Amino acid sequence: MLGSAPAPTLDRSTDQLAPPPTRVQRVLRTARLEETWTRATAPTALVVAMIVFSVISPNFATWHNVNAMLADAAIPVLLAMGMTFAVMLAGIDLSMAATLALASVVFGLGYQAGWGLPVSCLLAIGVGVVVGLANGFFVGRVRIPDMIVTLGTMGLVQGIGLVVSKGVPVPVADDTLRAIASQSAGPLRLNILIVLVIGVALHVLLTHTAVGTHLLAVGDNMDASKAMGLRVPRIKLAGYVIGGALAGTAAIFLILYVGSTQPATNTDYVMKAVAATVLGGTSLFGGRATVWGPMLGAILLTVVQTGLTMVGVEAFYEPAVVGVVVLAAATLMRGRK
Amino acid sequence: MAVGSGAPHKIEVRDLTKSFGSVEALKGASLYARPGEVTAIVGDNGAGKSTLIKCLAGYHTPDAGEVVMDGEPVHFASPLAARHAGIETVYQDLALADQLTVWQNIFLNRELTRGVPPFRTTRRAEMRRQAHELVSSLAVNVPGVTQTVKRLSGGQRQAVAIARAVMWSNQFVIMDEPTAALGLRETAQVEDLIRRIVDAGTTVLIISHNFEQVMRLSQQVWVMRGGRVVNGERTSDVTGVELVAQVTGASTFA
Repeated sequence: MLGSAPAPTLDRSTDQLAPPPTRVQRVLRTARLEETWTRATAPTALVVAMIVFSVISPNFATWHNVNAMLADAAIPVLLAMGMTFAVMLAGIDLSMAATLALASVVFGLGYQAGWGLPVSCLLAIGVGVVVGLANGFFVGRVRIPDMIVTLGTMGLVQGIGLVVSKGVPVPVADDTLRAIASQSAGPLRLNILIVLVIGVALHVLLTHTAVGTHLLAVGDNMDASKAMGLRVPRIKLAGYVIGGALAGTAAIFLILYVGSTQPATNTDYVMKAVAATVLGGTSLFGGRATVWGPMLGAILLTVVQTGLTMVGVEAFYEPAVVGVVVLAAATLMRGRK
Repeated sequence: MAVGSGAPHKIEVRDLTKSFGSVEALKGASLYARPGEVTAIVGDNGAGKSTLIKCLAGYHTPDAGEVVMDGEPVHFASPLAARHAGIETVYQDLALADQLTVWQNIFLNRELTRGVPPFRTTRRAEMRRQAHELVSSLAVNVPGVTQTVKRLSGGQRQAVAIARAVMWSNQFVIMDEPTAALGLRETAQVEDLIRRIVDAGTTVLIISHNFEQVMRLSQQVWVMRGGRVVNGERTSDVTGVELVAQVTGASTFA
């Protein structure tokens, strides 16, 4: 070493600043952490809601009702998981409800044409993938803000669905779909079981694959991701395609739920999906997300909705409740980062 | 200045130019770094230092000029290409994802996986183990590789960024102001770390505004001004005062 001036000496013993924390200190520190309580929001609120509604309404805490609520939660859970993949990229997908509507219309076309259930299902998911590709392309490659892109695709997709279907729902009477809607395997209804399996797959994708880490990294710090050689546009594309595919999948669950296609867009779905995502501890600024958090968030919203109905609150209050939840959760997250 | 002499250079830059719109950030910059040394680049804000190293790192593509690595001309179309060629960069803004853990950051885009595509899963335990090994071998005081980066201090974050660079290239590491945001003690720790990786055979190219640090750490120093490299000398041949004069333009000769 030829360095001329001597370096400031370094006393390595001062590096070890404090003795290892005791168990109590560790528990307290974990409890203070923002990650801990944002993650605890949905499970805690779910338990509280269950207890409160059980006390008020004696019919609430029956297995029949719980099972019915879980089955009702299938579509919100799918959409919440899809929304999570956009939000973890520091984005949002406003087009999900419109995608769901168009996917159900296309499913109906395939089914009416006699192509059978598997092909019709693939068509519905395919519509979601195509819309996701369009969203991801404009957000990632063309670099237009996510809000504008998905607002645009929302209108476009919604319009196509209405034009193609002329706004008329098509009844779909399929034995397999009917079985999925009504039959149970063990204690759970088949539809929520399938959704849970999808959830497990997405959880593995997020936590045990490179793609999952890359999605979070891009959402957290786009410049850092680029510097590390990540192909940011492709990763954003992947996130929006996953979201779109889940909206397409949700269309199948809507058809088996109501027995017909639904060309009309139900924008409540988008708001509920965002609310569930936020309740599930997903950072609106991107980079922090789980799959199970938004799942629980969506189940919580369904439980609250059912509970309010059972205690005699009019259904008209529901959007207001969800809206308050979104604003409250977003306010709590404000300014972090 | 004697650029392109017969000595085997780890990396050599010849007449690099780069413009952003009408702004000429580099107007033909040339320098080299000898293997196993710390080479410093000094210069005022806007002198073109960051643009130069971003060209070396594949972040920018130069408009003209040549980059020669180990005697071979190289062209990097992307940061990934530069990383594959063995050039790692520690950026001024650290390029860490705050909400990911230390080990996830160290292995970002270099994840260890098992299985066949498209069903490849990451080897989390193995990555944690290797990251822990790396961090302890560098004697870096990072509290634990499973911590998220945002809970680390500035010096610890810098140590993670440097450790990551060393993990992937023991040949050539570029550092853009590695101690700019650090306190005295943390600066000393990071300088210590840089010395250790150089002792282990890594070539380091460093940008610094801290002339004392340049005198302490480097063997060769280049002065940039107005998008050009205006002087280059062995560090032992100059004083800090002379460097300041050259950076500000008060003195244009060695």
